[in-house]
Amino acid sequence: MELTSTLSRDLILQVSSKLGEPDWLRAKRLLAWETFARLPYPTPRTEEWKYTDITEVPFEELSLELPTGQPRAIPQAVQDRLAQAQLSGYAVFVGADLVHVELPEALREQGVILCSLHEAMARHPRLVEENLFRAVNWSDLVGTQQNRPENSKIPALNAALFTHGVFLYIPRNVEFSKPIGVFKYLEGGQLSASRTLIVGDVNSQAVYIEEYISPAKVAPSVNTSSTEIIVGDGAKVRHAHIQLLGQGFYHFHRQRAHLQRDAALNDLVVNMGASLSRAEVQSEMLGPGSSSEMLGLYFTTGLEHVDHYTLQHHVADHAYSDVLYKGAAKDQSRTVYAGLIKVEPGAQKTDAYQTNRNLLLSADARSDSVPQLEIGANDVKCSHGSSTAPVAPEELFYLMSRGLPRHMAQQILVKGHMTDVLTRIPIEPLRQYIESIIEEKVRV
Amino acid sequence: MVNQLEIRNLHARIVDGETILNGVNLIVPKGQIHAIMGPNGAGKSTLGKIIAGDPSYEITKGDILMDGESILEMEADERARKGLFLAFQYPVEVPGVSNANFLRLALQAKQGGEVNMMEFYGKLQKALKTLEWDESILTRYLNDGFSGGEKKRNEIMHMMVLEPTYAIMDETDSGLDIDALKVVAKGVNAMRGPNFGALLITHYQRLLNYIVPDAVHVMIDGRIVTSGGPELALRLEEQGYDWVKELAATAS
Ligand SMILES: Nc1ncnc2c1ncn2[C@@H]1O[C@H](COP(=O)(O)OP(=O)(O)OP(=O)(O)O)[C@@H](O)[C@H]1O
Ligand SMILES: [Mg+2]
Repeated sequence: MELTSTLSRDLILQVSSKLGEPDWLRAKRLLAWETFARLPYPTPRTEEWKYTDITEVPFEELSLELPTGQPRAIPQAVQDRLAQAQLSGYAVFVGADLVHVELPEALREQGVILCSLHEAMARHPRLVEENLFRAVNWSDLVGTQQNRPENSKIPALNAALFTHGVFLYIPRNVEFSKPIGVFKYLEGGQLSASRTLIVGDVNSQAVYIEEYISPAKVAPSVNTSSTEIIVGDGAKVRHAHIQLLGQGFYHFHRQRAHLQRDAALNDLVVNMGASLSRAEVQSEMLGPGSSSEMLGLYFTTGLEHVDHYTLQHHVADHAYSDVLYKGAAKDQSRTVYAGLIKVEPGAQKTDAYQTNRNLLLSADARSDSVPQLEIGANDVKCSHGSSTAPVAPEELFYLMSRGLPRHMAQQILVKGHMTDVLTRIPIEPLRQYIESIIEEKVRV
Repeated sequence: MVNQLEIRNLHARIVDGETILNGVNLIVPKGQIHAIMGPNGAGKSTLGKIIAGDPSYEITKGDILMDGESILEMEADERARKGLFLAFQYPVEVPGVSNANFLRLALQAKQGGEVNMMEFYGKLQKALKTLEWDESILTRYLNDGFSGGEKKRNEIMHMMVLEPTYAIMDETDSGLDIDALKVVAKGVNAMRGPNFGALLITHYQRLLNYIVPDAVHVMIDGRIVTSGGPELALRLEEQGYDWVKELAATAS
């Protein structure tokens, strides 16, 4: 595809027409573009971006990553993951090209759909139109106290310019427990924009893992991803977002789940790569009896910077949510966590917990943690806690005194710190993979 | 080669802080077991940790020699790989790594290569049998939620599997019931031999009924004040430390 490379209204029209999109989508892209064009970028003066400075991020200096339409091989790094991950179905993207998608016959026969968003638009137009932009659009972060408009800047960019994405639909009463894996291999040097739409219909059950992989070092690159998860009445979705991009990447992820009556989400976000990353993970308890487990793991080294924002938005009564984010920082790296439990006036009998714990492996590493509660109902159980502490010297000494070199002792302490999250990941191969990433990162 | 662990005129303090050791002289020949006794706060644990390489203390004078070689410049892990072991007075709880896995990593570090699993498993079995313990302790996270007694017993199990040349056991007997004490003593006695030297830090003569020491040293105010045979422990049990303190006062 030969297109104008600078971001403009024209570019959006060209992308939309090349991708053969319906009118409604083009109209939405243009709305998103107007929002993007109107808004300033967030700065450290924006409350929600206080500790994360993105003024250096070259959003508009990079060319947009577009589908090439060329056949491409599955990169070795992805093949390695496919060999280890024990998946049921999977899809592989290289850049904006979907190079492989596979779904077991048994799931297809039951009506499960796993395909690119654009294929879904052509073959299941109603499903896509009803759900795309339903949970994440180009409007503000839900729940922030002073909805600063610049919070919409990057989501608006993503909505206006996304070039590819994944659609997963699980029909009513269909269940599977072996994960579906989607791998995004990014070569870097461009602005990448993608979306994921997961719709779990009434009483369905699914497990979905999305991984971002790239070469270890790339030219400056930006990745924006938006994930929407619709969990229908009585449905269960287990979702994981694993980001292991190389140095040079700026990664911005926004995710929001809508949980209907008795719906359950088990979410995991792992940010262990990229020079700078920010993930905004939100669950909206819209139906009574819904529950959302939100786990996070991050580990930064060198000059890396990672920022997480979580929202537990209790709209309906009798819902449960539990955030547990644990991270470690080494060298001069930096981590940020901010989280909000927001309980609406009608959400009686809410049960909501939020915990963030950070381990510092060096004197120059830093973690900031800002937990918040905003409670509008009177009959609720809510608690939050956060802590940041350096590695205890006596723990390090104990392990080293048995002969373990410092880096191995640190590995053990980091894994120990993250154990209560790790043990809550029931997908064994995924847990092992995450542990191996931690080990690798401590070593270097 | 001199087959001994030698502490030579050791002066040490907390990094940028208070001085704790004021010239410790002590020799533990390989093949022998020595005991150190002394009142609370005398500096016994500090001595043990300094020998093992705890970076929170600094040596201001003196030396520590293992088989004639100074180990002062080595970090804790290197000393351990050279054959030193410290059984901690307060072992640290480490969730996330199983007891057995940790031991395997430690043994691997010591051997400098992959551990033969059969051999490793054999060592574990042997240690467990001597310590009259069952396998369930292996799969639990390292010291995590262990009772005080289990922690102490586990330290001895680590020692038995890692087979150090010189071991320092810091109050391994404290907090043990009499049966556990006998079992732990069995473990230490099983290590006894020409290639093993040990320093037992204890408050109780009782332990020395089960592990009969070759020598007993008394530490007061960061110094070894007097030394003798097992009978010294009996005298301390009967008379307390006052007479040794007087000895220390007249000496300095
Ligand atoms: N890291 C430290 N920080 C502060 N004070 C310390 C530190 N280490 C040792 N000390 C002090 O040094 C002195 C000696 O302590 P040490 O633990 O070596 O005594 P001990 O002989 O083992 O006593 P106990 O019989 O009670 O175990 C004590 O006064 C103790 O408070
Ligand atoms: Mg002590």
